[in-house]
Amino acid sequence: MAAQARPELEFFCFRVGELRFGVPSENVLEVLRAGLLTPLPRTPSFILGVTGHRGQVLPVVDLLRFLSKGEARIGPRTRIFVGVSGSYVSGVVADTVLGLRRIPVSEILPPPLGGDQAAEHLLGVVQGSGPADGINLLNFSKLLQTARQRAVVR
Amino acid sequence: MSLESPNEKPAKSRGARKSPGVKAGAESVIANTVTDPFKPFTDTLMSVLSGNLNARVPQDRVQADPTGFGHLLNQVLEQFSSAEHRKQVAAQEIDQALDSLIILVREGDLSRWNTSTEDPQLGPLLEGFGKVIETLRIFVREINEAALRLSSSANQVLAASTQHETSSTEQAAAIHETTATMEELKHASAQIAENAGSVARVAEETLGAARAGRGAIGEFIQAMQQIRSDGVAVADSISKLSKRVERIGTVVEVIDEIADRSDLLALNAALEGSRAGEAGKGFSIVAAEMRRLAENVLESTKEIKNLITEIREATQAAAGAADASKHATESGEKLGAVAAQAVEGILAGVQETSDAARVINLATQQQRTATEQVVASMAEIEDVTRQTTQASKQATGAAAELTQLASRLAELIKRFKAD
Repeated sequence: MAAQARPELEFFCFRVGELRFGVPSENVLEVLRAGLLTPLPRTPSFILGVTGHRGQVLPVVDLLRFLSKGEARIGPRTRIFVGVSGSYVSGVVADTVLGLRRIPVSEILPPPLGGDQAAEHLLGVVQGSGPADGINLLNFSKLLQTARQRAVVR
Repeated sequence: MSLESPNEKPAKSRGARKSPGVKAGAESVIANTVTDPFKPFTDTLMSVLSGNLNARVPQDRVQADPTGFGHLLNQVLEQFSSAEHRKQVAAQEIDQALDSLIILVREGDLSRWNTSTEDPQLGPLLEGFGKVIETLRIFVREINEAALRLSSSANQVLAASTQHETSSTEQAAAIHETTATMEELKHASAQIAENAGSVARVAEETLGAARAGRGAIGEFIQAMQQIRSDGVAVADSISKLSKRVERIGTVVEVIDEIADRSDLLALNAALEGSRAGEAGKGFSIVAAEMRRLAENVLESTKEIKNLITEIREATQAAAGAADASKHATESGEKLGAVAAQAVEGILAGVQETSDAARVINLATQQQRTATEQVVASMAEIEDVTRQTTQASKQATGAAAELTQLASRLAELIKRFKAD
């Protein structure tokens, strides 16, 4: 569904822990401050809890736990962006929002072969100027679907 | 011959009538060479005259002579012969006495004088001699004793004089030494006077320095008080600064909050712009710029917060330092007071030292004068002692001579045997 013909794509880029991720900007509704999170019983550990947003209950996902890359920490400057895919809406924890970036399609590299669980949710990888500057571009719709499935299976 | 004269007198007195008779007899004997009847008488007289005092007129002639002349003549001759005999005995005794005297004079032996006589006429003479000799004997005895005493006394005098000479020489040496010592003492006292002068000078200098020190300590205490009041002012300023910094902190918090909200707003605006497609592109760029500004503000506030933290630490350190400075100045003031007291003590001590040094200087000057007088006196004493030594040498010589004389006298006196 991504417009492959366009020479470049816009991604909402952020950092969690040591990892940088990019989410297609059409999947992001808005950015919030991390307010009070109410933990939900009987949910997977990657769902930190729920928070109220514009009269709706919004589950908040920790990407690091979801991808088994560690744990996110909630601080005063922590952001939560509201991601959307179809009818599914979910909050995702981001330590720092890097901003909207337009990335040429030609620069997007395929995800590394034989990768772990994270690799199946990646659209591709963009090399940065340094080894830590690389950005993992997420297939947010698939990720959200998987997350929902996991939460329901439980 | 003189001895004969007393003998002659009685003879004369006795034969005053006879002597012319004898001569007349002799003339008559010469005349009798012719006249025979007187021949026995003349012969007898001739014989007596020639020395035979025992010659007498023969008895037959006496009896034959009726005139009794022969008898008378014999009686005269008898008396004459006894007188002659007595004269001879007296002469012999006189000779004996003279011999004794000669021996006495020659040998000085007074002990042998033991001449006596039965002659009543010579008796008083010899008795007088004996008394003279006895007196001489007593004299000699006394002189002997005196000579002995003189000798021992002269010896004692010599010994004493020798001792005196020795002691006088020793005294001279001692006086010489004493004079030398007094000279040294004089030099020493001069040295002491000089040293005391230096001490007085040094004490004066110290006094000046101590006074300067007292002034300096007063200034120090004033400076300490100034520092303390300045320190109080500094502490006030620091606390004011701290309050201001805290206020800056709260303001920065507000700014931070606003910047954070601005960041979020800009981000969401960018997302809105992005959803608007090509139409919102410019809006998105402005929003991104706003976001960058907000981030800059956040960075600046972070820096300010760091600075505020540093300032807070610094002000705390400064407050601590001001407190320490306050304590230090307080103890400095106390120390200054103690030092001032100490300097007062030093001033008093130095004043005393200075006075004492001056007194010592005066005393040593007096001592020097006295020592000089003593040296002069010692020189006079030395002169006198030299004279005394010379005199005692002369006295010793005289005493030696006296001793010799005394022994000579004793020798001489020894020649006279009194006992």
